[in-house]
Amino acid sequence: MPWPDRLQATFVPAEHAVAFWGPLDLVHAHDLPEGRPGTCRFALPADGRVEPVDVPVRLVDLDTAVPALRALPARSAALGASVLAWRAAARLAEDGDPGELAARLPPAAHAVLNAEETAIMSARAALTRFHQAVATASALRATGLRATPRPYQVRGIAWLRALAAEGGGGVLADDMGLGKTLQAIGLLATRRHPDQRPHLVVCPTSLVGNWLREIQRFAPDTPVIGYHGARRALPEHVAAGTVVVTSYSVLRTDQALRQQHWDTAVFDEAQQLKNPDAQVSRAAAGLTAHARIAMTGTPVENRLTELWSILHVTNPGVLGSRARFRQRFAGPIEQRRSATAAARLNALVGPHLLRRTKSEVAADLPAKQHTTVACTLTAEQARLYTDAVDRAFATGLGSGIARRGRVLALLTALKQICNHPAQYLGENGENGENGERELVGRSGKFDRAVEMLAEIADQGDRALVFTQYRAMGELLCRQLTDTLGGDPVPFLHGGLSLARRDRLVHAFQTDDTAPPVLLLSLRAAGFGLNLTRASHVVHYDRWWNPAVEEQATDRAHRIGQQRTLTVHTLVTGGTIEDHIARLHQTKRALADVVSRDAEAALADLSDADLHSVLELNPGAIA
Amino acid sequence: MPDFGATGWGRAWVRAVESTAVTTPNPLLPKARSLARNDAVTTVDIAPGRLTAEVVDRGRHHRVTIDIPLWTGQVRLVADRLVARSLAEHRGLAPGDLPDALAADLASHGIDIAVPTDAQTATCTCASRRRPCSHVLATHYALAQRVDEQPALALTLRAPRRTGHRQGDPDWIDLREVDAAAFYGG
Ligand SMILES: [Zn+2]
Repeated sequence: MPWPDRLQATFVPAEHAVAFWGPLDLVHAHDLPEGRPGTCRFALPADGRVEPVDVPVRLVDLDTAVPALRALPARSAALGASVLAWRAAARLAEDGDPGELAARLPPAAHAVLNAEETAIMSARAALTRFHQAVATASALRATGLRATPRPYQVRGIAWLRALAAEGGGGVLADDMGLGKTLQAIGLLATRRHPDQRPHLVVCPTSLVGNWLREIQRFAPDTPVIGYHGARRALPEHVAAGTVVVTSYSVLRTDQALRQQHWDTAVFDEAQQLKNPDAQVSRAAAGLTAHARIAMTGTPVENRLTELWSILHVTNPGVLGSRARFRQRFAGPIEQRRSATAAARLNALVGPHLLRRTKSEVAADLPAKQHTTVACTLTAEQARLYTDAVDRAFATGLGSGIARRGRVLALLTALKQICNHPAQYLGENGENGENGERELVGRSGKFDRAVEMLAEIADQGDRALVFTQYRAMGELLCRQLTDTLGGDPVPFLHGGLSLARRDRLVHAFQTDDTAPPVLLLSLRAAGFGLNLTRASHVVHYDRWWNPAVEEQATDRAHRIGQQRTLTVHTLVTGGTIEDHIARLHQTKRALADVVSRDAEAALADLSDADLHSVLELNPGAIA
Repeated sequence: MPDFGATGWGRAWVRAVESTAVTTPNPLLPKARSLARNDAVTTVDIAPGRLTAEVVDRGRHHRVTIDIPLWTGQVRLVADRLVARSLAEHRGLAPGDLPDALAADLASHGIDIAVPTDAQTATCTCASRRRPCSHVLATHYALAQRVDEQPALALTLRAPRRTGHRQGDPDWIDLREVDAAAFYGG
């Protein structure tokens, strides 16, 4: 392959950077910024054709690349035509005519490959995106956004701004934890002119408070109104650029939202719109808005019609009518796995959907470390455990649905015994004649967790502790408050009002005097919670589905978090918890194909097989 | 939903291939459907007046070529007029789609979207003496599926348009079209 003897430059939109490559020593000779080293997939010439190859590059973020390019000499024997073309583009800044310049861009300047590696970006598309990116960065500066978006987030904001400028719509489908909210705020905050209409954000009720806070935090100059609750009211005139935050349940029936003309409508957790027949989906499609943006990490949870339903709100007509969509795409893809229909659907949806996975932007995320903490049973736990197994098998488990129910009850009992005898026995600690019975010394796992959390608190770190049982959370709360001293350790569960949950989250994230540990019941905590101040996550008990644990972990593992996150999983040796841990390993190997029926699978085992899974491994007793 | 002929456009091709079977059942049709269902028909290429495909049958590759007459003369004129009118009435049509009403409209004007097998010239590289062989028939079923997914292909076969139906994405250049000699510019 002929390697160029002059320095080359290629704009890489996904990195929000210019990649310099070829004879890289020339970077120094021309006082260009060092940038960060990396590898890019470009198409380069070989044997009269161009082919995809890995190219070692230095990536210079646009903010530094643009002034550096402007400062280059107009001519130099060492600079390739691609560098000089980007110099011209940088000098055009935000308001030149890219059309004329497009003809001067050699392929080397826009050699970025598509995902299939069958095509490179056109010169015009590269220039357009370059100018969008430069304009977005300066608009964000002018707005005073109180955050430094990562390169891929600036790319996302530029993409959203381009859609909104055209008066179109789209779906931001980045993986959970990649900061979709910040990107949406970047869009809303930079679309604020005196003649512009207000914006609308629709989200689940549990996230209304979060949205209001995040807008105030990241874009304090943007006026924001919470529109929810029975006494909600919109002012007579909503000022230009104001963001109105409401919930899906309000949207369903509210007249005022329907009558207002909006600039940009944002639908967060847009899988709420996956059923096209639902009243809320029809209300969303019926809003009058210049631009419509849906945000979801899972545009398709089960059926392809969900994607149709969401795009019907953001980009009506793109996929045709629902019946036609079934004939042309959903039927062929779901019934006979048609590769051509899938490819056509991708091509149709592609321009309207931006999706980045965690692994694609891994370099931008702090690391996550998993540790397994092995625990032992106390004599009391071992006795309860063996009794429970023996009693269940002696009574008989039956067959069919009855068997399923009894196995489930046994599994729950065993998990509770591993957690703490007090949880299993239903001791609430307050009715006993001698007052509260001591909790320490009765569960190996409980003692270990309390020690670990005390240590974390001593280091000045913060931790989230997840349990699936309300009773267990109460026990941990009691003990941790006692051990750590100070204010009661908060427990976020389904019994609390939304306002109370919001306050707990807010205190954990911002209040230095708040207890350093937050207990959560995941199912009640809902989605979208932002708890990035934690640097430790403890899973006190196990879920059958590892995806649920991952999701819990991701409350803390998000953009905006600077430190490494350590994830501790507590496993009691020789017990049902060991079995679940092994199950998780196999499931992770199966990637996305997660079966939710692990409990049912156990019920289907013969008595002998089930007994060998559940009986206590004697080596585990303390 | 039927595996073949979910839209009016695909259905026209299914009817054409099954039309001769109404009086005397063609024993090759079940096998042809099974080949198409099991993805044995690969690389279907649909060009004006010509359909080519590769069919893998019990490990053997067979190449199928089917020539299909284009609409000409008065038929073409009427078809163009009906197509233009329909597209004007359905401005919000999704890319690659055509209304089923247009298919019915063409049929009612006596314009056939599909061509029965006895009106085509079909060849297959297999040694079977039965013509059309199961591979040619399977190619028809695969065509019906592609046309269901993208009804505009039905017109590509019979009435190629000079302007073309949204050829490619202007934001991307196919690697085969990149000038390697001018890659680094002047
Ligand atoms: Zn044949």
